Amino acid sequence: MKYAGLILANLGRNKLRSLLTGGAIMLAVLLVVLLLTMPAGLDAFLDQIANNTRISVHNKAGIVYSMPFSFTRKVRQIDGVAAACATVWFGGAFEEEGRVTFPSFAIEAEHAAAVWPDYNIDPKQMADFLRYRDGAIVGRQNMQKYKWKIGDRVTLKSTIYGVNLDFRIVGEMPNDRSPLFWMQRTYLDEAVKAKRGTGLSMAGVIWVRVDDPNRVNAVMRQVDEMSRNSEAETASETEKSFFGNFFGSLQGFVTIILIVTGLVSLCIVFIAANTASMAVRERSGEIAVLKAIGFQRKTIFATLLAEAMLVASVAGLSGVVLAIAVTKMLRAFAGWNPSLGPLGAFIVTPTVIAQGVCLSLVVGLFAGLVPAFGAARKPVIEALREIF
Amino acid sequence: MSPSVEPIISIDHVSRFYRRGIDEIHALDSVSLTVQPGRFVAFMGPSGSGKSTLLNLVSGIDRPSSGEVIVAGQRLNDLDEDELAGWRARHVGLIFQFFNLMPVLNAVDNVALPLLLTKLSKRERLERAEIALRIVGLEDRIDHYPSTLSGGEQQRVAIARAIVTDPDLIVADEPTGDLDARNAEAILNLMRQLKNEFGKTIVMVTHDPRALRFVDEAFHLDKGLLLEGEEAARAHESIVIAAGGGSVRNR
Repeated sequence: MKYAGLILANLGRNKLRSLLTGGAIMLAVLLVVLLLTMPAGLDAFLDQIANNTRISVHNKAGIVYSMPFSFTRKVRQIDGVAAACATVWFGGAFEEEGRVTFPSFAIEAEHAAAVWPDYNIDPKQMADFLRYRDGAIVGRQNMQKYKWKIGDRVTLKSTIYGVNLDFRIVGEMPNDRSPLFWMQRTYLDEAVKAKRGTGLSMAGVIWVRVDDPNRVNAVMRQVDEMSRNSEAETASETEKSFFGNFFGSLQGFVTIILIVTGLVSLCIVFIAANTASMAVRERSGEIAVLKAIGFQRKTIFATLLAEAMLVASVAGLSGVVLAIAVTKMLRAFAGWNPSLGPLGAFIVTPTVIAQGVCLSLVVGLFAGLVPAFGAARKPVIEALREIF
Repeated sequence: MSPSVEPIISIDHVSRFYRRGIDEIHALDSVSLTVQPGRFVAFMGPSGSGKSTLLNLVSGIDRPSSGEVIVAGQRLNDLDEDELAGWRARHVGLIFQFFNLMPVLNAVDNVALPLLLTKLSKRERLERAEIALRIVGLEDRIDHYPSTLSGGEQQRVAIARAIVTDPDLIVADEPTGDLDARNAEAILNLMRQLKNEFGKTIVMVTHDPRALRFVDEAFHLDKGLLLEGEEAARAHESIVIAAGGGSVRNR
């Protein structure tokens, strides 16, 4: 601690260089933390839905293909099925934006509470959802992003069915990360019937809740067996598996993110090490004098390393704080991104914060280690000979 | 007959060789001398004579290739690099030709620097540093940074740094080498004052013939050898003439 004044004075000798070095480390940590929020978002999302008893049933050919809506009733009759709910992708967009900015589904409102009890939607709001045919339950992320409140009215245009529907927001999914928008299937069915003459006869994905985790595999087998040799054979899978596959294409992206993160970290280590080496080289005379007046090698080593660690840790913490602020902004302005999925959740988990801080400490350690060791190791007579 | 006093510096048949490529450089060759406590002595001689090498051995910065160096009762041959550093911190105050102050520290913090190696509190360190600056006449410059001080003032700060730990020995390597005549005289006067008032032992390497008027004794070296007898007298005479007279005992 008594060397703090000396360390700070040395850092202040070239303020611009210290600031630039710190700035480079801060930006690198910011970038790394931002990048790491993507795989962290995917992990958090998949973890959140792990170990549940919900399964998805969809067309074996892929989720863009549909199944007969009537199949939902058959699924409900299978032993072990606690509840089932057919969903249809609505693809709702604001008229003025013209593109989907959050996932919207038409669902069987009367079965939603039983299939998604873990969503913890207020029972009174669920009751309102059933009561109003134009009712909508909206994820809190959307509520916050668009500053909606219960009772607000919203108009969305379906990018799939080409109908404009007015909704009354009657409830919210109390989850900050939920971007969902649920409407009544019957409401969409009527609108489609009015436009085309025929209503909805299909389901996109049927979500099923099994009463016992041990029966999940058996139920899945039975569902798929039941659809065998039909026009729409099904493929059932657990919710975790479904989203894992759904976002499987993102795994490659995650790998690239991790590689970029590693390279950025390596770059910043080299930059910081170069700067630290320059700073030590510039001060070789002063270091020689310190040794001559009695500073031991370990003291020289520790003070030089402390300089590098101090710059890196202050810069790293600033980078993490900045990253938290930036992710808040990104979450507020970017919202749910259909191409990024959970990667765009920008969740700064404690693990990501720890990784950012560790990165800065590692940068400081590696940047300071070699020059500090080199300066400390040199015998005083050699150090003095170089300057006199 | 005065009672015998243990010498503070005892150099016994000390040699120092360096390897430079395939060549072996004999910087010092079997030098022996003693210095009594409270003396102000100078090592003099032309460039390459070995005087700086001898100073480095006396101050524990370097170790001899052979022979024995005992300073302040410690046989320096036995100490490793870190032990020597610790020993220097406790027993030696160093003054360099180019002052070598830390540009990022003000005068008082520069002076207090060696005290970081002690157990003194920050307040005690600053108090002692201010006392040292008062001794060298710079009590009104304690907040000044080296870049705002003249050469003479910087060397005074360096002297304050050398005495702040109250060392047994002050070692100065060409302390007037980078100063004008007026400042050089002032610095030599100050060193003489430290010797007279505080009983400090001072060993100085210098080319400056003026130094002869201030030191108690001068040792003359040439080509790694300590000159004695007629050779030493001749070397001394030539320096005295260059200095315009003086009365210093030579070796």
